[in-house]
Amino acid sequence: MTDAVSLTNERNQMFRDLFSGKTPKRVPVSNPATQDFAIQYAGLDLVESQWDLTKLEPVYDKFCQDFKTDTYPGGSIRIPSHYQLLGSTPIIMSSSGFMQHPEVVGLLAEEYDQFIASPYDCIIETILPRLYTEFNGQPGKVAMALAKAMRAHSDDMAYLGTIRAKMNAKYGFATMGAALTEAPFDFMADFLRSFKGISGDVRRYPDKVSAACEAVLPLMVKKGTLPNPSMLGYTFIPLHMAPYLRDKDFAALYWPTFKKLIETLAEMGQTVQLFVENDWMRYLDYLYELPENTIMRFEYGDPKLVKEKLGNKHIISGFYPITLLQTGTKQQCVDKAKELLDILAPGGRYWWQADKSIINLEANGPVVENLKAVLEYVYENGVY
Amino acid sequence: MLGGEETMDSKYYLTWEEYLTEHPELEGKSTQAIASKIQKYEDAMFTFIMDLLL
Repeated sequence: MTDAVSLTNERNQMFRDLFSGKTPKRVPVSNPATQDFAIQYAGLDLVESQWDLTKLEPVYDKFCQDFKTDTYPGGSIRIPSHYQLLGSTPIIMSSSGFMQHPEVVGLLAEEYDQFIASPYDCIIETILPRLYTEFNGQPGKVAMALAKAMRAHSDDMAYLGTIRAKMNAKYGFATMGAALTEAPFDFMADFLRSFKGISGDVRRYPDKVSAACEAVLPLMVKKGTLPNPSMLGYTFIPLHMAPYLRDKDFAALYWPTFKKLIETLAEMGQTVQLFVENDWMRYLDYLYELPENTIMRFEYGDPKLVKEKLGNKHIISGFYPITLLQTGTKQQCVDKAKELLDILAPGGRYWWQADKSIINLEANGPVVENLKAVLEYVYENGVY
Repeated sequence: MLGGEETMDSKYYLTWEEYLTEHPELEGKSTQAIASKIQKYEDAMFTFIMDLLL
């Protein structure tokens, strides 16, 4: 057995232990920097490298070699080619090469009933033509645009998958599959009604919002289901809107279908990782109710309170402030990692991840050295 | 096949059973092999479409 295979086996076992509530050999570590960061770190042009993916293999090789991590770093679902081919308005590339998500409205308030009657039909017939210009026009042209976009996406994902497999084989990363879905309320807000739109709907049409969340729940379950659900792997669910809701609106409109989604995935044997965006401290009692060993990566909040209230049932992650990597000294960055290890690691159920992903890299800034130091520290000192 | 499709109720997503009803010419052929392939692309299209809204 090669060293890399042996390392993969060891890391896979760490994550199996972590995801099943056992204390692993050490705290698993994931590099929070993204593909965008990796391209900049390699000194390449962001726009060109995202269109010409053949440039990315050496980018990832250097990235994987230089930063300690137990899982494959980077990755992206926002590859520009298929968005361009479909005339995307909700995901666009900025002049500097970062993929952006402007506020859009894919569903009008007066279309709620149409959506509730059949969400997927409404998506195909009404929402996509509003958000993607190439879904408009003659059926033949729409069919050709869709075929080209899907082929481009398939080619891009296959190519990135090949790079990932090579890096896993070379560096012995844990091999975990992942699916992506959203809480039904967040799905209604994100690309359909918009932040502003759903905020008004909660007051004007709460019954419609509730019915829409119920109607779209099966699609969210299906989207979040891996072909072969297993403990080693997870469904990633970024959570957006709850911190912006009143408690009573959260209880009535957000929580019921969100809870059903997580429970359904857990019943299928699927591990779930929540990215608990913003500050959810007033919802900790709700989070406790979710199925045991739900992974919760927190952005903001009180790690001690989270450990106390959730740490005996769920897997805690996040909290490490990536802004410190830009503003702090190396010692301050390492001290913060130690502080979080001391709070969150005892008893297991802790996965080191940062509070958010690192996208931008300032040339000659301190982030690279500080991030390397923090990853190294946790990797070496997170031993149980 | 992934979870959730039994309650999707859409003309743009067919389960294998629904597809077979619309394509009786496939009755009696190697339906197991055909079903897995047809369903694979039905699911691939679903995932692609939904990813456009995530």
